[in-house]
Amino acid sequence: MTRSITGSLPLTCLAVALALVAPPGLAADPEARAEADPPAEDPGAMAMPAADAAQDSSDPTPPPMAMQMGSMQGGQAPPDARDPDAWADGYEYTGMPGFEQTDQIVFGTVLVDELELASGDEGDGLGWSWQAAYGGDQSKLWLRSQGLKVEGQRVDPASDLEVLHWRATGAFWGRMLGIRQDFGPDGHTWVAAGIQGLAPYWFELQATAYLAEDGRVAGRLKAAYDLRFTNRLILTPELEANAYSRADPARGLGSGLGNVELGLRLRYEVRRKVAPYVGIVWERAFGGTADQARARGDAVTERRVVAGLRVWW
Amino acid sequence: MRPPKPLSLPAGTVALPSSGRRRFVQGMTALAAVCASGLPGRAAWAQPAGPEQLSGTTFDLVIDELPVNFTGTPRIATVVNGRLPGPILRVREGDTVTLRVTNRLREMTTIHWHGVILPPEMDGVPGISFPGIAPGETFTYRFTLVQSGTYWYHAHTLHEQTGLYGALIVEPRVADPVVVDRDYPVILADWTDEDPLQVFLNLKKMGGYYNFAQPTVGDFLADVSGAGLTAAFEKRRMWYRSRMNPTDFSDVSAATYTYLMNGASPAGNWTALARPGERVRLRFIGAGTATYFDVRIPGLPLTVVATDGQAVEPVEVDEFRIGPGETYDVIVQLPDERAYSIYAQSMDRTGFARGTLAPRDGMTAEQPPLEPPIWLDPIDMMGAMAAMGNMPDMADGAGPHAGHGMVERPARARHARTEYGATTDMRVDYPRDNLDDPGTGLRGNGRRVLTYADLRTIGGPLDARVPQRELELHLTGNMERFIWSLDGVKLNDAKPIHFRKDERLRVTLVNDSTMAHPMHLHGMWSELESPQGVFQVRKHTVSVQPAQRVSFAVTADAPGRWAFHCHLLYHMAAGMFREVVVA
Repeated sequence: MTRSITGSLPLTCLAVALALVAPPGLAADPEARAEADPPAEDPGAMAMPAADAAQDSSDPTPPPMAMQMGSMQGGQAPPDARDPDAWADGYEYTGMPGFEQTDQIVFGTVLVDELELASGDEGDGLGWSWQAAYGGDQSKLWLRSQGLKVEGQRVDPASDLEVLHWRATGAFWGRMLGIRQDFGPDGHTWVAAGIQGLAPYWFELQATAYLAEDGRVAGRLKAAYDLRFTNRLILTPELEANAYSRADPARGLGSGLGNVELGLRLRYEVRRKVAPYVGIVWERAFGGTADQARARGDAVTERRVVAGLRVWW
Repeated sequence: MRPPKPLSLPAGTVALPSSGRRRFVQGMTALAAVCASGLPGRAAWAQPAGPEQLSGTTFDLVIDELPVNFTGTPRIATVVNGRLPGPILRVREGDTVTLRVTNRLREMTTIHWHGVILPPEMDGVPGISFPGIAPGETFTYRFTLVQSGTYWYHAHTLHEQTGLYGALIVEPRVADPVVVDRDYPVILADWTDEDPLQVFLNLKKMGGYYNFAQPTVGDFLADVSGAGLTAAFEKRRMWYRSRMNPTDFSDVSAATYTYLMNGASPAGNWTALARPGERVRLRFIGAGTATYFDVRIPGLPLTVVATDGQAVEPVEVDEFRIGPGETYDVIVQLPDERAYSIYAQSMDRTGFARGTLAPRDGMTAEQPPLEPPIWLDPIDMMGAMAAMGNMPDMADGAGPHAGHGMVERPARARHARTEYGATTDMRVDYPRDNLDDPGTGLRGNGRRVLTYADLRTIGGPLDARVPQRELELHLTGNMERFIWSLDGVKLNDAKPIHFRKDERLRVTLVNDSTMAHPMHLHGMWSELESPQGVFQVRKHTVSVQPAQRVSFAVTADAPGRWAFHCHLLYHMAAGMFREVVVA
């Protein structure tokens, strides 16, 4: 499971990573496939017989519902789809002052998903994960940062800031393009390309491929799910995996799958926008990264107890 | 503060207290108790606001701010002549009325005369009828009333949420065939302490922001123990897989809303007085900005005699659902000396507006309990597919009404090519046509619930011509991102809709979402048709249920530019809106 990513192109890396993390049944879901692949929103999976055959008025009997469901979302417009401007007959809006503009609203939002004290085998530290977005429905400027700094140690190698342009590619998905700057000594500057969205069954997914100035490639995948015990008490299992095409001994990284982190955070939404939480995080290094940890006398697995605050506005 | 502006007001209106004074409407009794106070906490009774009702042909209406308190927290409302709701305006069919509306706010506002047939420049839609009323300006509306019945007025801006609405009653020129002893408008509305723009932004950032009834682990376990693991999974599969929320009835819930009846919160207990034996006409007006109400008076049958101002063949029911923009005139008879609750649950079952029908002030009746929140039924997402019986769990939602009148072989909807992009999270290929469906949460509840199939306008259609063409429009949205549109295109990304002058056309709406949308066409009537294309009922606001197809006929006899939009305020703001050009 760990070595297949080595040396691959960013997009392949991303696709493989996505396939690895997909929950059972998801990878085979035509909607997921269709939407997770922005350039070709509908790779034929949507070509249900229903889409064309049912246009034939000689047989108006609709297909079984199981087939119906597949064509309800995403997909590509059939050639005979209705023209949305057909009813305009060439008329345009007058543009009189006062005309409703709220549909074009541009706004900013900040989500500090994790801001936490972490206490683990290697010591106490501060962890964070936040994102900010500004823009409209189709396109936004994004800032994303995550990281961990344990007292007395160098900053975690997966600590960075990303500046990205997000573009909606489907009802639930968007693609991101931008740059990433690693924190800490010997950090790289990367070009970033990825996707972010909501997979069927309400899994939040983020998959990003990175290309550094020296040609090295990395991939990161994040997945999360909100499990509601009540409408305020919410458990979020979260998975993150990082992979690298080349070893980077200065940062303690080997090639291939570097680490997998599993988090479980239980938050209580005092208000929608304010939720204290506690959690546990389990992290394991793999391959060359694990070898380097062993050589330093460090553990390959780490456990951390975390407590923090999730806020957004 | 604004500089005080002297106003000379004619008789029949009341001068407002000077704007420097603090006025305070107690939320419990916003109608009656207006008190003034220079210091918080030291309230002193002061002059009342303007009269509750105005009649005649000339009206002076002043839009201003007023401190109110519905929740325990003082807030600023937008009011007409110092009142929330604004004064009841009683006018007469055939009269030409003049309404001088002065804007004393710091921003543009408007009044739209909802459901009234009038010249386009008098319609009060900013950017379409006129540029709106600028701060400090007075706009004079003048039009001749060519109809009678129950209508209402409201701001065509976010001020609708902050209280700018009121009843407009047009008395018939000839004697009203509906003879009653008492007559009350009952305005159902929703109030939030939040800024409406903040509500909108909260929804844009998180579609389920106000939904605290989302499925939980506990619900799942309860289903497992009740129906078994397979059934519990099966119940969720369709919703979870499609990322559609089965509990998304209203975007905005009682988490922020206090529901009002004639400006009174449930604790305020607005009361309609009547003596035993008297016939009472209750003119229900759906002024919720994001709320459908399910209305009943436990213990009393309701005889519906009109909807959207238009008389219908009387139909007796126990309950009816009223969408934003709609009106229903209901006759009840008080049988005895007891009090009866006028009870209006929000469709999402998070709260209610409530008042009392009683022989004396201060009486209360037992209130029914708020019904538990429910899920949408499969029919609300799958349309005719679910209705054909393919769903194993249809038993849940199949009430006495559901399924009747469903066409045997549902027609396929024609989606616009713009429904395959980021603005549209689902499409219904085979919508259902059943007008006899009371809607989610009302199916099979053991009460007689009004449906559109029960409504028949007396006298038939205004225009007997068969529609010469059909115009199909889809009601579309993206619930996660709170994008709302028609055919997947938001207002400012779209082109207007053209009606050819004097044509009779059919507008077919297909709801490609799991929410109901009250679609309001300005300037012309929407004559709702049965699935067989037979005239059913004349309306100005047609509620289209989830995954439903509805058709109405229009006679395009009103040249000019008009608005056509969803009357859920935040859907309209998000782009579920078109300009209609009649030329």
